[in-house]
Amino acid sequence: MKNRVRELREKRDWSQGNLAEKLDVSRQTVNAIETGKYDPSLPLAFKIAKLFGQRIEALFEYEEEK
Amino acid sequence: MVRISRQSHQRRVMVAMTIYVIVFLWVWPLARAADTLWLKAAYALAPVPPLLYAIWLLARRVLSADELEQRTHLIGIGVAAAVVSVFGIVSGFLAAAHVFPPEWAAEALVWIFPLLMLCYGGAQLYAARRYGGGVCDEGGMPVAIRFLYAATLCACIAAYFYFRKGDRDASATMLGMAGGMAVFAGGFAVWRWLRGRSMRE
Repeated sequence: MKNRVRELREKRDWSQGNLAEKLDVSRQTVNAIETGKYDPSLPLAFKIAKLFGQRIEALFEYEEEK
Repeated sequence: MVRISRQSHQRRVMVAMTIYVIVFLWVWPLARAADTLWLKAAYALAPVPPLLYAIWLLARRVLSADELEQRTHLIGIGVAAAVVSVFGIVSGFLAAAHVFPPEWAAEALVWIFPLLMLCYGGAQLYAARRYGGGVCDEGGMPVAIRFLYAATLCACIAAYFYFRKGDRDASATMLGMAGGMAVFAGGFAVWRWLRGRSMRE
């Protein structure tokens, strides 16, 4: 799944640690989401979308597996 | 649940395991010489409370973890359970067939918890790295220091076996473990230093 988490975080000048604190997750989890190594659960995805004031589909884009 | 820092968790686990080793070496051996059954049981079970405390700390850490961390903990526990199950069933079959003395099977049982923890730690670390995590994330104690601590503990146990018990075999085993852990500590320290240097350049 592709996402725009890094782009939106950097736009706000937040570090991964800042974002992790706001989402109540570890920095490692934020990094894994940004690099696409981990797809967040639906509640966490909604939490991220709400934090950035975006719709969930504007943040995450599903990609067919090749 | 409030998230617990990795450093605080590691410090508490180390204290619990140190107490466990001390009790195991100094109190548990008294069980064989105890007169009454209840005293024997009390001495034999003396190492259990620090272990229960360590398990409680682990449960608390898992419960306060986020969803990705919980996934890596689950992978770690799954791998550890599989390894320990194989170890248990192999030991059980061999002991039942009298391939080795039954006392060895009892000793094998004592190693189940350390084996479980070792496999759990290794598998959890591997899973965390697959998701891009490192061995020293979240301000935890450097892994080299942890191995050095374990090596020191093993060396102390080796010295205890050698000087207090005169058991050269047990002492050599523990000394071998201490040496292995010291090598790991050195390896991780060098790896950390090299990584730091390449990041600075």
